[in-house]
Amino acid sequence: MPNPYIPMLTRVKSIISENEVRDIKTLELEFQKKEEYKAFDYIPGQFAEISIIGKGECPIGIASSPTEEGTIKFTIKKMGTVTSSFHNSDIGDTIGVRGPLGNGWPMEELKGQNIVVIGGGFAFSTLRSLVLYILDDKHRKDYGDITVIYGNRDSGEVLYRDVLEEWEKRDDINVVLTIDREEESWTRKVGFVAAVVKEVAPSPDNAVAIICGPPIMIRTAVDELVKIGWKDEKILNSLEMRMKCGIGKCGRCNIGEKFVCIDGPVFSLAELKKMPNEY
Amino acid sequence: MGLETENKDIETNLREIARGLLKDKKVDVIIGYMEGTLPMLSQPIIIDSEEDVEKLIWNNLCYVNLAKYLVPRVPKFVDSEKGNLTVGVVSKGCVGRALIHLASENKIKLDEIKIIGIPCNGVVNRQRIEMEIGEKEILEVSVSGNNVIVKGKDFEKEFPFDEYMNDLCKTCKIRKPPLVSKAPDLCVGECEEYSNIVDDFSDIAEFEALTPEEKWNQITEELSVCTRCYACREACPMCYCNLCFVDQNKPVWFGKTTDLPDVFVYHLIRAMHMAGRCVACGACSLVCPVGIDLNKINRKLEKIVKERFNFTSGLDPDVLPPMVDFKMEDAQEFMLEED
Amino acid sequence: MAEKLLKKDDIGKFYSELEKEYKFYAPTKVKGNIAFKKISNAEEIELDYLNSKVPPKDVLFPQKETIFEYRYEGKEVIIEERKDLEDKLIIFGVRPCDAYSFKLLEDFFASGDFQDDIFLKKRENATIIGIGCNSPRQSCFCTSVGGHPFQKESTDVFLSDLGDTYLVEAISEKGENLLKKLSWLADAKKADVEKSKELAKLAEESFTTKFDFDLVTKVLDENFEHPVWQEISESCIGCSSCTFLCPTCTCFDVIDENDEYNNRGRRIRIWDTCQSCLYTLETSGHNPRPAKIQRCRNRIMHKFSYYPSNYDCLGCVGCGRCITACPVNNELRLIIDKILEIQEKSGEKVSA
Repeated sequence: MPNPYIPMLTRVKSIISENEVRDIKTLELEFQKKEEYKAFDYIPGQFAEISIIGKGECPIGIASSPTEEGTIKFTIKKMGTVTSSFHNSDIGDTIGVRGPLGNGWPMEELKGQNIVVIGGGFAFSTLRSLVLYILDDKHRKDYGDITVIYGNRDSGEVLYRDVLEEWEKRDDINVVLTIDREEESWTRKVGFVAAVVKEVAPSPDNAVAIICGPPIMIRTAVDELVKIGWKDEKILNSLEMRMKCGIGKCGRCNIGEKFVCIDGPVFSLAELKKMPNEY
Repeated sequence: MGLETENKDIETNLREIARGLLKDKKVDVIIGYMEGTLPMLSQPIIIDSEEDVEKLIWNNLCYVNLAKYLVPRVPKFVDSEKGNLTVGVVSKGCVGRALIHLASENKIKLDEIKIIGIPCNGVVNRQRIEMEIGEKEILEVSVSGNNVIVKGKDFEKEFPFDEYMNDLCKTCKIRKPPLVSKAPDLCVGECEEYSNIVDDFSDIAEFEALTPEEKWNQITEELSVCTRCYACREACPMCYCNLCFVDQNKPVWFGKTTDLPDVFVYHLIRAMHMAGRCVACGACSLVCPVGIDLNKINRKLEKIVKERFNFTSGLDPDVLPPMVDFKMEDAQEFMLEED
Repeated sequence: MAEKLLKKDDIGKFYSELEKEYKFYAPTKVKGNIAFKKISNAEEIELDYLNSKVPPKDVLFPQKETIFEYRYEGKEVIIEERKDLEDKLIIFGVRPCDAYSFKLLEDFFASGDFQDDIFLKKRENATIIGIGCNSPRQSCFCTSVGGHPFQKESTDVFLSDLGDTYLVEAISEKGENLLKKLSWLADAKKADVEKSKELAKLAEESFTTKFDFDLVTKVLDENFEHPVWQEISESCIGCSSCTFLCPTCTCFDVIDENDEYNNRGRRIRIWDTCQSCLYTLETSGHNPRPAKIQRCRNRIMHKFSYYPSNYDCLGCVGCGRCITACPVNNELRLIIDKILEIQEKSGEKVSA
């Protein structure tokens, strides 16, 4: 078994700025060794430890879906020294990737159910992977109705405009985009995510809700869901924690007896309630 | 009079004063020392009732610098309604100095504490005695006359206290608690007003006389066992920075490994940050799990600060330490030529 | 394989024969304290010792360790993996508690979907020669965690100090193969084996510190939010000595060290501690464990509650280093007493 600490080497194929203030970029990476790409068997919701070797490593959720062949994508927000060096990288630069890591969204268990995807701001990256996977011709019939509710502070912050516009055109997915405050050129909904959830009122029957976003958004959105009958076991969350090894050895991402990097990052609300409030 | 009797007297007086303070509600809680569970250790204890006063002890094993528990305040010193409680601190000289110095740096309000000054004749050099006893378990430690008696399963050894106290204690000039007129305090026994400490720094004369190469060898040998646990930093009352220079990453100043360059730089820079602030309490060397003692360097820096700025830390809460202040009279011969 | 005898005078011979093939680590005096170092001659070995300050885990899991080295050639990165992981080594004179810690470390690093190659390769190539404790300390409590002062299971070869000789027993196949190389070792007599058993029994009876850890785990599982943690963490100054000297603590940090002028560098791992307030601090500024009480609690819960849940055994070997190392005497025995008091108090209420 290969040494899990040694990164696989990839090259930057493209860098796209995702938002107006240009602090969120999506890096598209292609593996230098074809067999390593083939072995990189991931499902939506998993993450990888990516690094500019020499600058540092950090855990980033995989934004591309396994159905998008050839490359993998990561959406990175510029926050500290390591993420800044990703932003400053050029096409052709070498990026180390260790992964896929984490448990990912439970794609098997989700089959046959309706999926309600609720995202806020920058946390939408693994949700992009999830929705693209489900919408793919190979998988679409395995899943029921899909509703996507995606909220942002303002229209400049909306990620993945190209795929969102594609989804809006389809009739097998209901996309509801919203921003916090009215803007001149914005024709879609206005309001906080929780308010939109209340309005859309997705039915809990045979459905799973997947929520990713800032803690307050999650809290308020979950409140609305619970009011209309959603149960804790059917609400899924993806946690973020400080991680270093990503493989459950360095110890720092523990919440009680669980490690976010191997037992998570996806946890149901029911599981989270049993864990100590240290995340 | 032997150490034992001295300590017992002080202990009785201390308990009396503590009882009085709690009874008259001059303080809400008192932090002091109590019996430890191991032969050569004591524990800090926080009491808030007169019944618990009997738990307070005073002996030559009272190591911890209690000022550490005030910056930041431990939860027991803060009440959800009343806010900061008035804390009585059992203060030997170096603890008192630490409190006053922290007050000068605005980390403590002197009217929120009561410095219960206590005369101290030094603490036992635990690490030195353990090393001399070697690989045999110490089961009992007592003091008789001026000797420390150490007993094990099949041995008993006597150590003259004057020689086997902490090196810093040997040259301590504030064995009687400092009576600082601006600080509300009490005394157990006699107190002394220290407007100035007369210190000849004779304890570092030997170290100073070494050649640079000898100094290098001595220091690097001492540091060769460092594990970068930062216990020294955590135990020091003056190390209260939210983000220590070691942990900064914009930029990363130096490495965190146990390679000599990294270890050397960490300890020396920390010593520099202590210049004019160190109160020579010895907490750093006490805490070190592998027994590193760099206090000769701290003492040397204290000497330089004294010579250049005529300043000793922890005597006056209204005087800023020299490294955070300037005076027009400060010597600048290393920057400017004399006219 | 029959038991052998090794005269204390022959330790030199033992060492010089084995050091040709193995890197020999033994307890030796470093700056007044015992530490496990690679020795260069037999005089440095000190087997008549209580225990080392820093546990022997640092032979296989050192404070600083290179994960890989790299160099840049333009935009290309060439990664060089460790090549010294196949070196054979002997860790000589390890106390049974520390030997058991190697087993715990091995199980931990091998658990789950990802194995820590670096540690496991070194462990595979390491031979552990343990030695029994004739006089356990007051702070030792290995018998409370399923250990024993003469526990042999986690070693490859086991020594018992009989006075001027050591009884030498091969415990594992690796140990047997090692002893076969030393054909000059005399056979032990029945009396020697009996004496070793007697010493073991005396040692076992001498323990003053005993705990019921099953009960401790049970109480911990049910009392995460109990106010007792306030009391327990009160005097802690967060110095992290307990974690740095613990044989089972494995937390580490990963750092890239870059030599920009020479376009090369290395990725290393260094010991880290959950007692540091920066341990869980995220770039956003959010800290899951900002308060000292949470960090204090995390260490105890990890050793005595999470470890049993995840690996079916306690995360503690009873060496007592944390007890003697704590500078404010906030030691484990006091902490366990306070935790067990919860059970007693609630028990009283029920019976009343």
